Amino acid sequence: MDCSDLRNDLLDVLYGEASADTRRRVETHVASCAACRDELLAFGAVRSDLQRWKAPEARPLLPRRSSFRLPSVLAAAAALLVATGAGLGLSGSELRFEEGRVALRLGRGPSEEALQRALAAQESRHRQELFALRAELRAGARPASVPAEGDPLLQRVADMIRESESRQAQRFTASLATLDERSEARRRYDLARIGAGLAYLDGKNGQHLSRTTELMGYMLDASEKRGER
Amino acid sequence: MSRTDEELVASSLAGDRSAFDQLVLRWDRKIQGAIYRLMGSEEEARDLCQEAFLKAYRGLGAFKGEARFSSWLYQIALNLCRDRMRRRRGRTLVSLDALEADGQAPVLREEANALDLVEARDLQQRVRAAVLALADDQREVIVLKEYEGLTFQEIAEVLDLPVSTVKTRLYRGLDRLRERLVREGVGAPVATEMSAR
Repeated sequence: MDCSDLRNDLLDVLYGEASADTRRRVETHVASCAACRDELLAFGAVRSDLQRWKAPEARPLLPRRSSFRLPSVLAAAAALLVATGAGLGLSGSELRFEEGRVALRLGRGPSEEALQRALAAQESRHRQELFALRAELRAGARPASVPAEGDPLLQRVADMIRESESRQAQRFTASLATLDERSEARRRYDLARIGAGLAYLDGKNGQHLSRTTELMGYMLDASEKRGER
Repeated sequence: MSRTDEELVASSLAGDRSAFDQLVLRWDRKIQGAIYRLMGSEEEARDLCQEAFLKAYRGLGAFKGEARFSSWLYQIALNLCRDRMRRRRGRTLVSLDALEADGQAPVLREEANALDLVEARDLQQRVRAAVLALADDQREVIVLKEYEGLTFQEIAEVLDLPVSTVKTRLYRGLDRLRERLVREGVGAPVATEMSAR
């Protein structure tokens, strides 16, 4: 089998998507083909290296709690209310709010029928209260199947994008200014070094010239004196 | 029992805005992670992720349900990344984060010189640089396979390509990565007969 024919199967094996037949075919081939065997090992090593690149923890775009979920405190309160009402009803007790105070009558008093009526009335009241709670919370939501331009979600996201772009632009400007200063400082430093070097050479040349002049003067004097003799 | 993506899409189209919130909560980290691997910048990943969900929200009515919702979302994210990279084509680019001391973001093109303040100090930086140096089509497949864990079939759906093409790009991407990581002393060289092929 040609090695290039096996390439797709090799990838299936590498990523655990090979069928049993494919796996057997690849295993048989790599047992006798060192190149394919090495390639499979090398790609396995690459995969391990790739996993060393860890992405930073992504910041969620939305708060983890949905704003439209019934708050758990209210849900617990509603559940407690229902449970209390049902319990009192079943025990033959009665809970009333009379003349500005809560009155609780325990024990069996009224008949079975009256109890059933009282229980049903309580359940109905509790359902109405829960319904009212949900309606109150939903009153904040605006039904919209088509997002409009003034849609708060769109507006919020658009604002976030604008803020981010503004921050990036400011940082880019500040960074360019810093680079500019560094380049200018470097340029002046280099010029200063060149100037110092030239001055040094100038000085060296000056000394050399001075010595040369002195020597020539000496030689001229010497030749004149020789001529006089 | 949590609702499926398709159920949440249907609810959202019916006017339940909290349903779309649920989709965002479910997918924003994955999408941000994928964009981060493609672009190399945390800030850019967040910006493009916001844009992706904004586009998805606006275009939800056009989502036909023929593909998975997640595949559609990945497509939107990839297209945004491609647009952003296309706009940068031919320019040397260093993420602004690289100008700070931590050198977190990489150079996105190898030939960056004067502005290349990021040195690959450790293995993670070198791996990131190797991935970001891949050709766009190879990098997309590597990211979706290695980091997002999509199957070949799912990647083919996202990229609208045959599975065989996906595998070819993945093979070439892995080969390029292998060469580069070995050259940089990260990967272990593997003997002999491979180089003769």
